[in-house]
Amino acid sequence: MASRVSGLTGKSKANPILGYSDTETVKLDFDDASFRIARYWAERTSRWFRLRGFIILKSSKNHYHVVFDRVVAWAQNVRIVAWVALLSHNKGLARWLPMQCIKGCSTLRVSSKREKLPPRIVCRHGKLDRNVENFLKYRKMIKKNS
Amino acid sequence: MVKKIAVYGSYEAKVPVRQRFWKRRRNGIRQRYWKRTSRMKIAEMKGRYEFHGKGKDLYKAVVKAHHLMPKGFVDVSAEEFLRHPEKYGFEGEWIDREVKS
Repeated sequence: MASRVSGLTGKSKANPILGYSDTETVKLDFDDASFRIARYWAERTSRWFRLRGFIILKSSKNHYHVVFDRVVAWAQNVRIVAWVALLSHNKGLARWLPMQCIKGCSTLRVSSKREKLPPRIVCRHGKLDRNVENFLKYRKMIKKNS
Repeated sequence: MVKKIAVYGSYEAKVPVRQRFWKRRRNGIRQRYWKRTSRMKIAEMKGRYEFHGKGKDLYKAVVKAHHLMPKGFVDVSAEEFLRHPEKYGFEGEWIDREVKS
């Protein structure tokens, strides 16, 4: 798995990236999309698939994560994400989806990554007492660690 | 359903240098083999832990994962990882490199 051989000099110590993974929470990762676009697709998806509610997290400039509240099976989860990726024409999301399918669960970053800060919540909508509550609980624990 | 914590990124670690050698088979085919030498090199690699389990174990496992680099893609319970960390990881150092989720 070695990709390149190099020396240790001139490199800063870094921490690993920490993320939250599961199969039953619908998550979306919008790259190169404005907040308006992310919110539009989050609302539309939530209404169409009856996902109860969602939160939007700002990962970095023009990069947003969406976490939905309803518990779904993995097959349904993939179906929903593929539906959004196809209709929204978001290239980042379309590339993110196969990576999650290969792993068999979807992951969203929780800690900081290089110069990027940890994602912060910018919008809450609808009921948030199931998966979103779980996600926030784990996020709190992970953030304590990082 | 299982909730997991993913710990991933690029790291540098000392790995043994592998040397190739050939042996001729009885049927005439030249077969290539690899052997691990005692020399070590610093290699840049990528890896990932997927931890699941109870809160306290998860916390301890993530702390330990800061010092132990994963051997490829490691999907393990936090409890098992804490019991035998050397089985799933080895010494190295995490580095800042672009990694896709």
